[in-house]
Amino acid sequence: MLVTGRIFALGMLAVLWIFIIGGMELAKKKLPTFRRLPGLDALPEMMGRATEMNRPVHFTTGLGSLTESVAPQLVAGLAVLGYASEMAAKYGVKIIYSVYAAQVMPIATELMRDAYIRAGKIEEFNAEDQIRYLSGEQFAYASAVQGIAERERPAANIMIGPFYAESMLFSETFFRIGAIQLAGTARGYQIPFFAVVCDYLLIAEEIYAAGAYLSKDPLQAGSIRGQDLGKIVALILMFVGVVIYAFGSNALIDLLKM
Amino acid sequence: MSLMVRRQIPILIVFVTALIIMADYFLQLPPIDAVTKKSWTSSLVTDIQNWGIVLAAFALGFGAVNLSYLHTRHISRRTKGQWPFSIWLLLIIIIFAVTGIRYGATSSTYSWLYNSSYFALSATVYSSLGFYMTSGIYRALRARNLESMLLLIVGAIAIMRNAPAIAVAAPIVINMEAWISAIPTTSAQRGIMIGAALGAIALGIRTMIGRETGFLGRLTEAEKGG
Repeated sequence: MLVTGRIFALGMLAVLWIFIIGGMELAKKKLPTFRRLPGLDALPEMMGRATEMNRPVHFTTGLGSLTESVAPQLVAGLAVLGYASEMAAKYGVKIIYSVYAAQVMPIATELMRDAYIRAGKIEEFNAEDQIRYLSGEQFAYASAVQGIAERERPAANIMIGPFYAESMLFSETFFRIGAIQLAGTARGYQIPFFAVVCDYLLIAEEIYAAGAYLSKDPLQAGSIRGQDLGKIVALILMFVGVVIYAFGSNALIDLLKM
Repeated sequence: MSLMVRRQIPILIVFVTALIIMADYFLQLPPIDAVTKKSWTSSLVTDIQNWGIVLAAFALGFGAVNLSYLHTRHISRRTKGQWPFSIWLLLIIIIFAVTGIRYGATSSTYSWLYNSSYFALSATVYSSLGFYMTSGIYRALRARNLESMLLLIVGAIAIMRNAPAIAVAAPIVINMEAWISAIPTTSAQRGIMIGAALGAIALGIRTMIGRETGFLGRLTEAEKGG
């Protein structure tokens, strides 16, 4: 009935599910505390800077689409887009969202319209101008984003989602025009590029926690606690695995192959 | 629009779709079709994926309309520094669309057009990455504090290892770079990978149970109550 080789993974998924639901239930009684994420705390500073300079804020979720394995990173980026749009609307700053996957456009439109309504500035929202489909081709998209940077000189650039070779093209171009930058990705190879160029960085799991961090929703925050418990289980498994393997046992390897 | 249409129905669709895909991944169900040997979950997953492709294709049309609207406006307003490029962009869209419709997207004519324009330009942009990396690294490799000092040392070792003359003259850099890549770098990368994977799973679970609504618009104060 169960596919061989995936039984352990299913078990771990069930355990993680329990941890997350448990974390949410606990959060109803006591709100967990978050460590600060300077990148997300810097959003008001970025918006303030854009207001002072009378320049727009640029936002990109990278090369993600909703039908690929990187979709969670895109969803995480969209959560921040909603928050950043609301803040931009409150500050009276124009936010430009560069779209790579056309399928994201209706979602982004809805998300940003909601944000502007919430800020009470719906009359300032211009979907055609602010949500720009650029291209579904990597380097055409990269060139178009660089074009926006050079022509419109945004005061801030927010990049959260899956990024590939274009990460350095974006971060260097925006650095050159003097934009303050927040970057976040779960793609390990691009993290160092962002780390050396951008002002603020969200590393891997931090982008998934961004929605919970920004929304201040206790249940979402509780799920992060559950996720951390999962991390502890993974660490214990690794430690036990190393120790028993050192003593010549393949028990954990066999268990993982179940 | 009612809350049910805006929130509950999309969350239900996400939950049911995710459940079917997970069932297909973890469960081995008997085939319902003797020819394809597919179970009902596999058939359903294929259908869902096809729907996704169809929806994405429709969305591409939406994107093309947005692109045309935006650039037509730039042309009509003579937006400074933009409108000549907008004319060029619309012209290229028309050329590709006409060629694709006339000869087909898999024809040699279309392939020639694509390879000799976009492919060459794409390779050019990719090549320019080297210069961007150099300027980024130039700024990063400065010993301002302990972290940047470490980065400088490791970067210097990696550069020396990849410079054949230095690697031949001082073979120790080969072993040093190999150790750095295999031990500290791999350990850090795996830590990031595990954290990211757990984060993605947690996000998936939150999305399935309707607590992560970032993609639907942020929660209202009333909805935060749980």
